[in-house]
Amino acid sequence: MKRQRIQFAAALLLAAATAGLLSQLVLGGNDKVKIGNGSVSALARAAAATDALPESVLTYPFAARNFASKRGEGSRLLHLEGTLRLYAVPGKEGMLCLIEVDDAAATSGGACADRHILLTGSIFMADRQEDGSRLVVGLVGDGHTYAEAEGRRVPVESNAFVLRGVAGSSVSVGSPTAAQTIDLGG
Amino acid sequence: MQLRIRRGRAAAVAVVAGLALGLIPTAGATSYIYWWQRNMTPNGVGYDRVTAHNHSYNELYFGPNAGWSSEVWEVTPAGYRHFDKWCTGNCFNAHPRYYLTYSYCSNRDGSTHFVYDCLDQW
Repeated sequence: MKRQRIQFAAALLLAAATAGLLSQLVLGGNDKVKIGNGSVSALARAAAATDALPESVLTYPFAARNFASKRGEGSRLLHLEGTLRLYAVPGKEGMLCLIEVDDAAATSGGACADRHILLTGSIFMADRQEDGSRLVVGLVGDGHTYAEAEGRRVPVESNAFVLRGVAGSSVSVGSPTAAQTIDLGG
Repeated sequence: MQLRIRRGRAAAVAVVAGLALGLIPTAGATSYIYWWQRNMTPNGVGYDRVTAHNHSYNELYFGPNAGWSSEVWEVTPAGYRHFDKWCTGNCFNAHPRYYLTYSYCSNRDGSTHFVYDCLDQW
């Protein structure tokens, strides 16, 4: 009788553990919407002279710590809008970097993160402007077609987007069939 | 004899020039690490407010494989905020030396994360 109870308890434990494992592995265990497989086709296109990062960016400590190579080899110019340029750069240990350079403002910035982020969102930067709004620039994986904030939608081109004058604390990125919300914080 | 003196002077000049180039940081920039190898709680803040400087650079470095929200920004002694940038993961902001400021960095993820360092330059 005692043995039967122990067997029953063991069976219950096993069932609970199996259910838990299945919910994590098969059913997701993570409510974040995924788009694409994390690949960035812009990085695979043939290189051009304009893809090289500005020398000033390569001199910052950030470059040595984050880029896969000292010279930022493999970088690609993703977006050019007035004096604003966005680059994607292969990073160390599975990271991918987004670099922004604004010649008129004489500013530059960068964000590097594990490329798995691209499955559920974007590697982004949000810069607070003098009027309190934010300039949001992002790198997204293949499959993303748009970015949107406060009802304004812009297309994703070459795996990048630019949203100006964002007043809220989130933006969304998506494909024709799915959408993801990015919390900008603040 | 004169040739030997000239050579000696040339060598001395070369040594002084070499020392100057090696010891003076590039373009006169001074770097300071103001947060160093510690866990940073959600919204925990690192800062350099010993002396205000005309900053040109601010960086937060979690380490490799970072994927968490971060923020770097600067504040003038009067309390005005400038060069405020939110990022995914490791983050830097380089800009002209417009304002005399203190530097700040923060982990904006919901969990505590190890931050290798936050570094500013002026």
